[in-house]
Amino acid sequence: MSDAALSRPLLELDTVVKTFGGVTAVGGLSTRVTRGSVHGLIGPNGAGKTTLINLITGLFHPTSGAIRFEGRSLEAMQPQAIATLGITRTYQNVRLFSGMTVLEQVMTGCWLTREVGVFASFLGLPSARAAWVRTREHALSLLARVSMDHRADELAETLSYGEQRRIEIARALGSRPKLLLLDEPTAGMNHQEATAIGRLVHELRDAGLTILMVEHNMGLVTEFCDDCTVVNFGRLLATGDPATCLADPDVQEAYFGRKTDAERIQALR
Amino acid sequence: METLLDLWAAYGSTIAFAMVNALFALSTYAVLSTGVLSFTTVVFAAVGGFLAAQSVAHLGIGLWPAFALAGIGGAVAGSVVAAAFLKLDSHWMALASLALVLITRVTVLNTPLLTGGVNGLVVPMSVPMGDLVILLALVAAVFWRLHRSWYGLAARAVREDAAVASTMGIPPRGIQFTAFVISGAVGGIGGAALAFTLQFISPETYFIGMAFTMIASTVLGGSFHWFGPIVGAAVFTALPVTMQSVLPAIEDVAKGVVLLVIMIFLPRGLVDPRAVGLRRAARRRVSAEEGTDV
Repeated sequence: MSDAALSRPLLELDTVVKTFGGVTAVGGLSTRVTRGSVHGLIGPNGAGKTTLINLITGLFHPTSGAIRFEGRSLEAMQPQAIATLGITRTYQNVRLFSGMTVLEQVMTGCWLTREVGVFASFLGLPSARAAWVRTREHALSLLARVSMDHRADELAETLSYGEQRRIEIARALGSRPKLLLLDEPTAGMNHQEATAIGRLVHELRDAGLTILMVEHNMGLVTEFCDDCTVVNFGRLLATGDPATCLADPDVQEAYFGRKTDAERIQALR
Repeated sequence: METLLDLWAAYGSTIAFAMVNALFALSTYAVLSTGVLSFTTVVFAAVGGFLAAQSVAHLGIGLWPAFALAGIGGAVAGSVVAAAFLKLDSHWMALASLALVLITRVTVLNTPLLTGGVNGLVVPMSVPMGDLVILLALVAAVFWRLHRSWYGLAARAVREDAAVASTMGIPPRGIQFTAFVISGAVGGIGGAALAFTLQFISPETYFIGMAFTMIASTVLGGSFHWFGPIVGAAVFTALPVTMQSVLPAIEDVAKGVVLLVIMIFLPRGLVDPRAVGLRRAARRRVSAEEGTDV
């Protein structure tokens, strides 16, 4: 890959607008995600973070604006085509498949890297069987990565919330993506579990993956994110390195209320 | 030996019908297992049934070529239906498929040259029990392979959450299209098997009654594993006969009560692989509380 291609952002959002009827969920947002970074997407509830993830993965199509991945426009593409380009995700409310074991969930996530035709797999040809075994090994290694391999044969829906979140990450890694979108990966986790997720995210980045994560835990954002984008009411508040972003007066106001209110409270004391 | 033969005389046809109904239930399961509720199995059965009956009568082909022809005819019908219907949302899909069943009956009634019209068609061939067993075994083997292949995994994902499946690169429409082709082929073969079992077919053969039987069999047996529809069809076909001999006075009521009891206490059907996993998890919790981790 040329230097120019490497320095170009992996993902680029250019004045993206998404309206639902009369409601503007995303109102002209632009930001860029650098290749090989952990990028935090933060903002208060209802700021449009999950809508952005849905737009990037093709579950929604933007009303206007451009989304480019490695220079390719994603706006009109179907979710499965976007996944094929190398973008996968997890969900804010864990969305594992009911009735599947932990291993089956991750195997399903390996659909794009299965190395064998569906018909050959139906016939049970030796080459198809060998490919199936390789995929199984791959899925098990991903489960080991999120420390869930000892639960491989259990029904995923019987496990705890934190465990299900980790299985979802393993499933999203199945197709060997270039960009991983994590929608609140630490929601409902205690500090220890959340730190483990942060460390996993760093390991994945060091192995070459780019990660865009929605995160509410500011401690985690400053500790584990290289860059961040702060949104509120579907608009960009700040972007850059986490410490600078969080010190931004607009960001402070969005999170903790109006500055003047805060000063008044101080004065009342 | 005498009693065995008596049993056979009394229940032989029930067993044959149970196997034919199993084919229809499997055809319905084929699409239901990708999250599509469709009554079009009836249409595929009509295509296969009349195609097989006419080709046996006029082309002089044998039993198994007739099954093959019915399967191909059904598969073609399945792909046409899929191309037309797959853009519809779930409940509209079910409604449209029901409309197609009504249209099929009118078409059958009004094309007497092909279907015998209102007078029906005498089928000059019957299917021996042994051949019917082999046929069902072959179809079941196809479903067994599908279940254990990448198609089976993708179909389960699409059924449970099509949007999530698509973000993993699985094309939901493509999987559902394949499901319709399979449903068409199996429905067509089932239609032929019914024609060779009844030896007489008419517009009423492939109508609402069949739609009810195949949906009830699939729901009763369980639509989460291919073995479910086969079990469901057996129970649903045998139930009226059994009730008639056990409780002749209140046969209909007893049949309804048994169906309701199964549906209330086993809402996911008689065959449910997920229930096995849930029971295992419950056992593990109990033993963990007792301090003996498994």
